[in-house]
Amino acid sequence: MFNALRADNSPFTQPQIDSLQQSLGNLDESQSAWLSGFIAGRLAGPPSRSLGHSLGHSLAGAAQLPLPVAAANPNSAPAEGERLQVFFASQTGNGEGIAQSLAADAERAGLVVELKSLAVLRPASLKKLEYAAFVISTHGEGDPPDDALELFEYLQGPRAAQLGQLRFCVLALGDRSYGKFCEAGRKLEHLLLARGASVFAPRVECDIDYEQPATGWSASVLSFAVANLAPGSGQVLPKLALAPLAAHLSVVPQAARWSRARPFSAAVERVQKITGLDSDKDVFHLELSLEGSGITYEPGDALGVWAPNAHELVDEVLRALDIAADAAVVLDDHRHTIHEVLIRKRELTRLSQETVQGYAELAQNRELGNHFAQLDDEQRRDFIEQRQFVDLVTDFPLAAGIRVSASELASVLRPLAPRSYSIASSQASVDEQVHLTVATLYAPGSSKKRTGVASSFLNQHLAAGDEVHVFLEPNHRFRLPEDRTTPLILISAGTGIAPYRGFLQQLQAEGSSPATWLIFGNPHLRTDFLYQREWLELRKSGLLDHIDCAFSRDQNEKRYVQHVLREQGARLNQWLEQGARLYICGGLGMGREVELALRDVLCSERGLDTGQAAECVAELRRQGRLLKDLY
Amino acid sequence: MSDEKLALTPVEGIKARSNYLRGTLLQSLADGATGALAEDDTHVSKFHGFYQQDDRDYREERRRQMLEPDHQFMIRARVPGGICTPVQWLALDAIAQKWANGTIRLTTRQAFQLHGVIKRNLQPVISAINDSLLDTIAACGDVNRNVMCTPLPESSPIHRQVCVDAQAVSRHLTPHTTAYHEIWLGKKRVAGTADTALAEDHEPIYGATYLPRKFKMSFAIPPRNDVDVYAHDLNFIAIVEDNLLSGYNVAVGGGMGATHGDPATYPRLADVIGFCTPDQVLSVSEAIITIQRDHGDRTERKHARLKYTLDDHGLDWLHTQFEARAGFRLAPQRPFSFTHNGDRLGWQQTSDGLWHLGLFIQNGRVADLAGATQLSGLREIARILQGEFRLTPNQNVVISGIADRDRAAIDALVEQHGLDSWNRLSPLRLHSMACVGFPTCGLSMAESERYLPELVGQLESLMAAHGLAEQAITIRMTGCPNGCARPYLAEIGLVGKGPGLYNLHLGAAFNGTRLNTLYRESVHEGDILSVLDGLFAMFATTRNDGETFGDFLHRTGVVTAGTEQGKIGQ
Ligand code: SRM
Ligand SMILES: Cc1cc2nc3c(=O)[nH]c(=O)nc-3n(C[C@H](O)[C@H](O)[C@H](O)COP(=O)(O)OP(=O)(O)OC[C@H]3O[C@@H](n4cnc5c(N)ncnc54)[C@H](O)[C@@H]3O)c2cc1C
Ligand SMILES: Cc1cc2nc3c(=O)[nH]c(=O)nc-3n(C[C@H](O)[C@H](O)[C@H](O)COP(=O)(O)O)c2cc1C
Ligand code: SF4
Repeated sequence: MFNALRADNSPFTQPQIDSLQQSLGNLDESQSAWLSGFIAGRLAGPPSRSLGHSLGHSLAGAAQLPLPVAAANPNSAPAEGERLQVFFASQTGNGEGIAQSLAADAERAGLVVELKSLAVLRPASLKKLEYAAFVISTHGEGDPPDDALELFEYLQGPRAAQLGQLRFCVLALGDRSYGKFCEAGRKLEHLLLARGASVFAPRVECDIDYEQPATGWSASVLSFAVANLAPGSGQVLPKLALAPLAAHLSVVPQAARWSRARPFSAAVERVQKITGLDSDKDVFHLELSLEGSGITYEPGDALGVWAPNAHELVDEVLRALDIAADAAVVLDDHRHTIHEVLIRKRELTRLSQETVQGYAELAQNRELGNHFAQLDDEQRRDFIEQRQFVDLVTDFPLAAGIRVSASELASVLRPLAPRSYSIASSQASVDEQVHLTVATLYAPGSSKKRTGVASSFLNQHLAAGDEVHVFLEPNHRFRLPEDRTTPLILISAGTGIAPYRGFLQQLQAEGSSPATWLIFGNPHLRTDFLYQREWLELRKSGLLDHIDCAFSRDQNEKRYVQHVLREQGARLNQWLEQGARLYICGGLGMGREVELALRDVLCSERGLDTGQAAECVAELRRQGRLLKDLY
Repeated sequence: MSDEKLALTPVEGIKARSNYLRGTLLQSLADGATGALAEDDTHVSKFHGFYQQDDRDYREERRRQMLEPDHQFMIRARVPGGICTPVQWLALDAIAQKWANGTIRLTTRQAFQLHGVIKRNLQPVISAINDSLLDTIAACGDVNRNVMCTPLPESSPIHRQVCVDAQAVSRHLTPHTTAYHEIWLGKKRVAGTADTALAEDHEPIYGATYLPRKFKMSFAIPPRNDVDVYAHDLNFIAIVEDNLLSGYNVAVGGGMGATHGDPATYPRLADVIGFCTPDQVLSVSEAIITIQRDHGDRTERKHARLKYTLDDHGLDWLHTQFEARAGFRLAPQRPFSFTHNGDRLGWQQTSDGLWHLGLFIQNGRVADLAGATQLSGLREIARILQGEFRLTPNQNVVISGIADRDRAAIDALVEQHGLDSWNRLSPLRLHSMACVGFPTCGLSMAESERYLPELVGQLESLMAAHGLAEQAITIRMTGCPNGCARPYLAEIGLVGKGPGLYNLHLGAAFNGTRLNTLYRESVHEGDILSVLDGLFAMFATTRNDGETFGDFLHRTGVVTAGTEQGKIGQ
């Protein structure tokens, strides 16, 4: 497993590397994970970054560590109150889950541990931090999750303190189909190091199949903590430690039976197209049954959906590569046919750089290799977004005489990941059902009408009576305010309207009626006002005070939600002054435009300059009055 | 007497609150969340000439899609006397292409209708129609509607005089409110608040709540009864003596509308109540309209038409009321007679030597269809026509005022675009008429415009089998009992009752002087065909020379009881 080490990617000389590989080569994963933590713990000061980096790669894939008992720790003179602080900044819940289980394991190992969202970390208190593990994902286009924004601002700013006392490590979550892979995690480590902090275990970067590497990382964190931190004093500890844990989790951890790894098989009860005839969008309303799952959700949460690739697509790929559908592949010690693997276990619709390069090598297609090599990041992202794997193999076929084996194929493709969908209902109103609003994704650029795997599976292949594998993705960053009298400004475009349907169902069921203002955008009023009947009913009933729509193609010049905001600047400002909360849900681009419009409005309505307005927006975010759910 | 103790209808409240027909139309138009108007405004809008509808073919689908109904609007343009210039035709054609469903609908009252206009296009459409010097105000609503006039009598001078009178009445009875110009033509809003607006707006004839119900007028020039002069509230029958227009017989209290299963509602033929001179037409109209304004029933819209006011109070009462208001008595009516209530199609020459070509437009729907590109054809004709278009009361169109030398050019276009059907189709089809019905009409219970052509086809073969292929029979279908195609004045009347179900009425007079009689209730196509097959057989074998189908059915006692009319005057 140390063959990742090379003289050119590590501080070692070739002889050192040879002996390292010789002596370490036959350690099993858990042993080396343990060792890494141990070494890191011994090191005074940070290990060289490149070492951390390369180790990081080698660690990815470490298995669950059999927890060492605290006693097994020989030499430590722990200071009073030394605690392991586990922080997470998570948008869709993956990182939060990882952080939770790390904290739980640490407690079982008898450590004093505190679990916190970065949202509640006061930058000032950084100075007192000694041992911290950060789990942080990347969102937007290389941006940190909202919860980490304040910390990043602080660390980048002039006021940031020196953090010589802090020893930390980072788990970076990401997705290689995006341009800036794990950017937020890398940046966080960089910023902390720049303030004099040191890493006690190498950073690990995870692609969407993060479970294994994450467990490896947790193992090394634990082994370090066990080796260096004070054990808790027996029985009382769990409670003590659990207190902050509960305090900082704004969700009661769900009926943990069902998870991303063990999804619930939900019965489909309704699949209904909700865009009108001759709309250029195919948006569907789905009703699934959670009956018997014990899953309870809140409006604002999302549902994770596992969707298989379409048979036709798989056949097309196998035909193009001349691989027999029943060719055997061994994945985590199980034999599968390549057909099964491509259907259930691999990404065919979303490419990544690795897949493109991997395939170029396998196929020995120089044209592809050279072409991709000379693209810049921007161009590579476009290249990826405009192609699916099947386009790749048809546009850049195998070189003459080259054959690709089933296992080779499986190895260049990324593991299939679930997709998230905002929940469009409230259990207060639909009980054990969960509703989704799904737009069939037609792949941009692709010549044939290629569709996205999950959206087309949900919209085109499911019918009432079928089953679909789902799990809850809590999102406590996008909830109704505790104070149900807070005015709500609900901004969305396209399927971004989904969570607001849940919000209003909830309010209606509770009988609470804050001032509400829906701002929605889509191409055409006649066909694309999603759930129009319900919104009009709500307006009639008085629960919805205003509906402002921007139908982009209903007039000569395009009109979007940000235009509505500017037109309605006076009212917007007035609502904000009355303490309104502003929600934004939908596409990333829309989110950006809306924030710009919001700034402009603050400038014009309050006579601020852009800097002040930007600060105003940041303040709204800190106060939790500007909430975003963008994808 | 409309009983004061009874509550006024909600519509009366809406009219009263509307501030001379403004309502909240401007807000309704500005509401971007729906393609509909606010409920109250859907009543106000009628006075401006448009109806809120939805495509009923998609109602159910859109309900499942959680979308509102496919709201769209029918816009009616008034064409007094049915006379329209080629320029106006071209304008309307362009509007239909750009903003409506690409067809023009000729109505049974000699007007135009456009369908499928969506809310945000209402303003452009209405102002464009006004630019063409047609208008839409009072095309619908509780006011006087488009004034009808026989489009093509033999004598042009008479026609000209009668048209002048018809158009004068139409102008005289057009609402005065400035709301229309304000909302649609962007004329500056009447200064000040609603109240000062009230002060500035006034309706000398109608008053602030207008009429209890729609009010309809027609001018007929015997022997042609194409306007169905007995079917409307107030009618003028031209009396021509020595080729001079000496005046009009006045007929009041006609109407078709009825409601299934409600005997208090019924079609009624107008009563001829006397004679007036041309210069008295305006005062006669004003007197009759104000009688209806003050005494029509505002507590029950189904009972609000003049015909019921008349039956409630009696003719003597009417004469007293009339004299009090007009300041004179009507002279005794003068003799006249009608020969037919259909259109005369094909080429005809009038006394002034000009030629006129009556074209058959099936159910008034001018469209481009495979084989018959009638919409394009009429566009081409409009581009070269020196004369004018005249819309007929039977949903057809006359190309009017053609000089001898231009006939060939017209004939060529007519043939090229399948407009020559008048000399190819059966007399039955040429005498057929259906209301709009599905999918746009909100009141239809059964198919009408989309179905009658097919049914006529079946009847044609039955008639052919009995050697009646050349027999003219008036056949009219409506999707509900409101009677928009005046079905109760057809020898064969079919009135929609439910999907695929019709009431079969038989035995009206070919000249529109006798109502038909309900013969079979709620019958399917099969029964309709077999019943008529039998009657055609009898008719073919035992009719008298020149006897019409309706008269035959009465003589042989197949039907009785149809209200006699029009003998008055002989
Ligand atoms: C277009 C037209 C039928 C046609 O195929 O040409 C028509 C179409 C409609 N008529 Fe009519 N009527 C039309 C001539 C008539 C006639 C015939 C006539 O006036 O010579 C009558 C019978 C005479 C009478 O008024 O008694 C007629 C009696 C009605 C009634 C019943 C009135 C009553 O007193 O009971 C209604 C329903 C109502 O007013 O409540 C009605 C209502 C309607 C509406 C507006 C339905 C509605 O109220 O929502 C229909 C619109 C359908 C659509 O989608 O276009 N329409 N309607 C005619 C337009 C005339 C015009 O240019 O103004
Ligand atoms: C928190 C959250 C909530 C969401 N809520 C909803 C919702 O309510 N309704 C809804 O419809 N969707 C929602 N989404 C989006 C949803 O999760 C899926 O991303 C979307 O349905 C597309 O998935 P897919 O499997 O159909 O397409 P994929 O198979 O993932 O991709 C299809 C095509 O997209 C292109 N593509 C590949 N990579 C990229 C890239 N990096 N960026 C852009 N395009 C790329 C390629 O052409 C590919 O063929 C949400 C996402 C998140 C994160
Ligand atoms: C809208 C969106 C944007 C993302 N952008 C990036 C990105 O720019 N770079 C990256 O490496 N990962 C990106 N990701 C992938 C996430 O970081 C990855 O799904 C991670 O597992 C989420 O962890 P969390 O649930 O703790 O937020 C993005 C995910 C979403 C939903
Ligand atoms: S008769 Fe009835 S169905 Fe036909 S157009 Fe008139 S109202 Fe509609």
